[in-house]
Amino acid sequence: MSLPILSVNELAMSFGTLEVFRNVSFSVDRGETLGLFGKSGSGKTTIGKCIVGLERPTGGEIRVQGANILDMGKKEFRKLRPKIQIIFQHPETSLDPRMKAFENLIEPLKLHSGLKQDALLKRGEELAELTGLRPEHLARYPIQLSGGEIQRIVLARIMALSPDFIVADEPTSMLDVSVQAQILRLMQKLQRETGVSYLLISHDLEVLRKVCHRIAYLDNGTITSIENIKRDVKR
Amino acid sequence: MSLLEIKDLSVEFSSGENAVKAVSHVFFKVREGETLGIIGESGSGKSVIGLALLRLLPANANVSGTVFFQGQDLFSLRPSELRKIRGKRISLMPQNPAGALNPVLKNRLQIEEVFEERGIDKKEGMKKSLRLMKKLLLRDPEKLCDLYPHQLSGGMRQRLIACMSLSFEPELVIADEPTKGLDPEAKERAVELFTKIKHDYGKTMLLITHDLDLALEVCDRIAVMYAGEIVELDKASKVLNAPSHPYTKGLVRAQPRNGLVPLSGQSPSRISLPEGCFFHERCRYSSIECFRKHPEMKNHNGGWIRCHFQSFQ
Repeated sequence: MSLPILSVNELAMSFGTLEVFRNVSFSVDRGETLGLFGKSGSGKTTIGKCIVGLERPTGGEIRVQGANILDMGKKEFRKLRPKIQIIFQHPETSLDPRMKAFENLIEPLKLHSGLKQDALLKRGEELAELTGLRPEHLARYPIQLSGGEIQRIVLARIMALSPDFIVADEPTSMLDVSVQAQILRLMQKLQRETGVSYLLISHDLEVLRKVCHRIAYLDNGTITSIENIKRDVKR
Repeated sequence: MSLLEIKDLSVEFSSGENAVKAVSHVFFKVREGETLGIIGESGSGKSVIGLALLRLLPANANVSGTVFFQGQDLFSLRPSELRKIRGKRISLMPQNPAGALNPVLKNRLQIEEVFEERGIDKKEGMKKSLRLMKKLLLRDPEKLCDLYPHQLSGGMRQRLIACMSLSFEPELVIADEPTKGLDPEAKERAVELFTKIKHDYGKTMLLITHDLDLALEVCDRIAVMYAGEIVELDKASKVLNAPSHPYTKGLVRAQPRNGLVPLSGQSPSRISLPEGCFFHERCRYSSIECFRKHPEMKNHNGGWIRCHFQSFQ
């Protein structure tokens, strides 16, 4: 049996004397979407931030393909980091407001891919097409784009790095119902095409039931149950 | 008599050489005590209507048409006359309660400001506000007044804004996207809040939202907007449970419980709107006529619809 892409074991987090969560354990397979459901303030976002290294948990381990990221040195983690990505809840603060959409989109490629200018632009255009962006969107500044268009740019940016795992933290809670459906379906399409895994954090159980393979319920600072929704994980 | 009557309202924003058509030829009436919902996706022009009524749009907005509030034409009033209506007789609960409150002032000061502005004794006003806050499901209002806005949850901020906007017992309340970004529990409480405002206070409301569940629970009638115009207007239960317009059908199908089926394509550019029906490029029922001719609003089973679709002709 192959290793899960991500396994979180007995993760705990406290801010001072305030315990946010404890004993949080789950794993995510390749090509799987695991939902993480909990109320506001239950610590869902903090779990997501711990996984991508934006917060350091107070206990437990986070294994990416078997290796515990909490034991890694900065250099080693930095190498792994392009493979684990995050989509934030608020589209309006996700992009650099001073850069046009296309510049925002190709920024990760500039930093990580080593591609030359021509190849870089070509790859950027491919990614825009993959995520359903039109050329007129790419020439605009983030403030001139709608929430759904920004989430598409964010997804294109993330896919530029061919990630294995994406933490999606309420990616559609600020979007309206028809755009929500577009973005979630786009995420599913990207999963079918690339085999990427998601941890989909949401307080909307209807959404989770519709798109997740399994759902983990976070209540009172710990995972109370994990429910199977769809049997097979398609690669 | 209608409390509010909007006739042929259009709003264009000039930007450089181009004009962005935000709202095109909107007609509707709101009866006294009625809650009219305006739904539609982001950018469909919902919020612009709310702001246009109170003449709160920026200077580059070109507004035409008429708005009658209790028979009075709001667009022909002098600014001093309009100020007597704004906040007192028509109040606005703005989108994004976090952005509507001043982050560096304690809540008490912000509530007092509302009264101060109108020349009413602060203490008297505050007493009234505290009573209102208790009624509107805010626990421990005294303590809450001594906090800053960032110390409240999204739902609490929204209720605080609701209290401020009801301070002068307005005849019409315009609520703009009151549930955006709230979690399900806070959303449920928002439904409770608006039902209370409607029933206990008998307020007439214009509820602008993309939350179809909230609209169905609270509204009497719903207007569906697409690309700046109303495409369907009917009783709330009819619009959302048995929609007629292909766009409304698409919105309902996009809800997770109804299949999470996205509408194909995107809204048209508002600088150059397509010929014919604005929705034809995304419509699964479109025919040649839809490409050629822009549909007029038609009476359909007691409601209104803007569509050429065969069965409605």
